[in-house]
Amino acid sequence: MVAAKKTKKTHESINNRLALVVKSGKYTLGYKTVLRTLRTSKAKLIIISNNCPPLRKSEIEYYAMLAKVGVHHFNGNNVDLGTACGKYYRVSCLGIIDPGDSDIIKTLPGEQ
Amino acid sequence: MVKFLKPNKAVIVLQGRYAGRKAVIIRSFDEGTRDRPYGHCLVAGIAKYPKKVIRKDSAKKTAKKSRVKAFVKLVNYTHIMPTRYTLDVDLKDVVNLEALQSRDKKVTAAKEVKARLEERFKTGKNRWFFTKLRF
Repeated sequence: MVAAKKTKKTHESINNRLALVVKSGKYTLGYKTVLRTLRTSKAKLIIISNNCPPLRKSEIEYYAMLAKVGVHHFNGNNVDLGTACGKYYRVSCLGIIDPGDSDIIKTLPGEQ
Repeated sequence: MVKFLKPNKAVIVLQGRYAGRKAVIIRSFDEGTRDRPYGHCLVAGIAKYPKKVIRKDSAKKTAKKSRVKAFVKLVNYTHIMPTRYTLDVDLKDVVNLEALQSRDKKVTAAKEVKARLEERFKTGKNRWFFTKLRF
């Protein structure tokens, strides 16, 4: 039960870390580019929104399993994930190539 | 962060005439070439799967049912689905880029692939690869 309920605090910190990645690191937004980064093994972390279609979600998770890359299920839908990246459009999945100054790679996959 | 589109990886072709067929990567071109400026790979796959053999079948029928039709193709990475399976069949010498230059060379390459895949099927290994994907 404790693991299922994500507290407001950690959620905000994910948003903060994401904002730092957007500001200082490299990332790609969108299904096609996420798959491309997974195939070329450039992605370090994948974040999927909670209303991503289940077939697409499993496909990304399968690719990430093959590439041994962590997947984080964002606690919010694509609108929220887009807002978290500072964009004015919806983002269903994003791949982080270079986290820049952020420690999102070290902290997030441990939670998973 | 591990490269997984490597030779001997079993994949499923998603688009084209061979959609839904299983194939194995022989050679991958991650950066692309001048003619194909995208990531692609040379695959050899099964065009016609071997049929189900039952105990009642005579030897002649078993031989007929265990036949495999193979294909050789260059496919874009976006048109294949990688799987966690691998197929260790040595096809590098027979399937190469020059085999795709002309129709007869492709046919002879496919025939050689067919022979090697059939003997692998008869040993009973890699059973997943030789079963048709139901969808």
